[in-house]
Amino acid sequence: MKRIGVFVCGCGTNIASTVDVDRVAEVASVMPSVVFSTSYKYMCSDPGQEQIKKAAEEHNLNRVIVASCSPRMHENTFRKAMSGAGLNPYMFEMVNIREQVSWVHSNKDEATQKAIDLIRMAVAKVERNKPLQVTTIPVTKKALVIGGGIAGMQAAIDIAETGHQVILVERSTTIGGKMAQLDKTFPTMDCSA
Amino acid sequence: MVAVAQHPNITLYSYSEVERVTGYIGNFTVTIREKAKYVDHDDCTGCGLCETKCPEKVKSEFDLGLGIRPAIYKPFAQAVPNKPVIDAANCRKLINGKCGVCEKICPVKAIRYDDQDRVFQEEVGAIVMATGYDLFPWEEAYGEYGYGRYPDVISGLHFERMVNASGPTGGKIKRPSDGKIPQDVAFIKCVGSRDDTKGKSYCSRTCCMYTAKHASQVMEKIPDGQAYVFYMDVRTAGKGYEEFYLRSVDQGAQYIRGRVSKIYPRGDRLVIKSEDTLLGKPIEVEVDLVVLATAMVPSAGSAEIAKIVGFSVDKDGFYQEAHPKLQPMETFTAGVFLAGACQGPRDIPDTVAQASGAAVKVAALLNKSELATEPMVANVDQSKCTGCEFCVPVCPYQAISMIPKKERAHGQVVERQVAHINKGLCQGCGACVAACRPCALDLDGYTGDQIVAEVDALCL
Repeated sequence: MKRIGVFVCGCGTNIASTVDVDRVAEVASVMPSVVFSTSYKYMCSDPGQEQIKKAAEEHNLNRVIVASCSPRMHENTFRKAMSGAGLNPYMFEMVNIREQVSWVHSNKDEATQKAIDLIRMAVAKVERNKPLQVTTIPVTKKALVIGGGIAGMQAAIDIAETGHQVILVERSTTIGGKMAQLDKTFPTMDCSA
Repeated sequence: MVAVAQHPNITLYSYSEVERVTGYIGNFTVTIREKAKYVDHDDCTGCGLCETKCPEKVKSEFDLGLGIRPAIYKPFAQAVPNKPVIDAANCRKLINGKCGVCEKICPVKAIRYDDQDRVFQEEVGAIVMATGYDLFPWEEAYGEYGYGRYPDVISGLHFERMVNASGPTGGKIKRPSDGKIPQDVAFIKCVGSRDDTKGKSYCSRTCCMYTAKHASQVMEKIPDGQAYVFYMDVRTAGKGYEEFYLRSVDQGAQYIRGRVSKIYPRGDRLVIKSEDTLLGKPIEVEVDLVVLATAMVPSAGSAEIAKIVGFSVDKDGFYQEAHPKLQPMETFTAGVFLAGACQGPRDIPDTVAQASGAAVKVAALLNKSELATEPMVANVDQSKCTGCEFCVPVCPYQAISMIPKKERAHGQVVERQVAHINKGLCQGCGACVAACRPCALDLDGYTGDQIVAEVDALCL
């Protein structure tokens, strides 16, 4: 049994001024498999995430859609909230109604309709989501630094100081890079080599 | 520099280049080629006797041609490692077999004329790119400044070598043409920077400050010397920078707001034609030396090494950061980090800060014993795969390889090639899925079924 929860974010007024978020939530509530939908000012805030957890419990949700900003911004935030609610983080879809809707449109009716369409698509997708499992890979505890100028030397020393092995590769016969060619350096006029 | 060489956790490969990188975050395999040095650095004590006796003399790259060096050389006195190499292109012994002076006089017999390149393989978990910058080749673009024909038109780095106490002139500012101490020195800023037509559109960020330093050094080092600075803007965004610039003004450096339109010789001096946009009229200044503040550009070969390591560069050839504000030290390739001017023009304080930041990112990665991988990756249905290999070159992360698969057909066991996804390398971009003709590839979390369902939801 698929039980989807839809959460529509107003992002303060970033989204809410161009998209009627209450109406979007209302329309989403009757979409297939959707058993809960709501709108909120800031979904990414603690109380916003708390709503996901609470609704997941109360309505026995197994899939979640958040319509808010770009997934590059907060996909991880909401995946963590999914885990916190005891759900597989990949049973989640994010709909971008900020960068792709409110910030690029000015007509409120049309923007609201576009947000509804995007959520309808996400509902169709999340219905077909399967729980995915994170796997792990080992880590070789050694770093390579390419270039032995000031940047490479500083990075190499700082990594080495944390206790890890560093390989520093420099194509010329000496490290130091351009910095070694300089005389005193601004603004403190100390010697560069 | 010495701290790097002496640190017990740092292995230094100098005179070496990275030839090949395979693998993925946490598990890279790196092939390093150490060029033939012709000197056994285990035996060599760095005494420097060979350098004094070598009969061949060529222009020193380190001094940008202002000084000379022998064919067996260390670029400068404090070089690290402090041991020489033989420049094979200029060594008489290596070119025609006649000479061998260094071998004869070396007290520890460290010279190896039969030395070969050596190739090493190393396993690493993270990579930091710190390939730095080069200066914009103004000689190829600026005809009005003489295309490099006038010896007394030099770059800021030439000036640095001259004012450096251990440089080719022993710290004295001299004209390259006749070795005379110049009285009037002109500095021209934004040569190649902020110039769409001839150079780059960006600001190189360091030139305003080093030009202020140079102007100040002219005023300090040359009795009755005069520095003229031709500028578009003076940009001093940094702690203590504005004060530093004002100090050069207080010392008497003359700042003239205007672009220089022409440099030409008059007698043994150079005439600078410009306008003074604050006065609103054209001006002419006669000087002895011209120093150009040339743009920073990515160092030679940086695009090639980016390709080898497997990440992208931006429109100007600088290394592309994953996010300009939130991930300035990361690339789009997991486990590859950026430090310094390879990512964009910057000065020493900013470079040090970024390098330390990159080091923290690396340490955070290496401190983990295991890494979680993103499960939204490509999947092969090997029964559908025809082995056409279309997907292999399409993958930007080199995550697809072909593996043999044995199966029964017509009562016989046959072996054929099928695609295999390395889940550590795959970033889930989906390029291979679109390229797969028999639809054998699919993306977990973004399957063909899901996309069709989305389209149906919108259109039906």
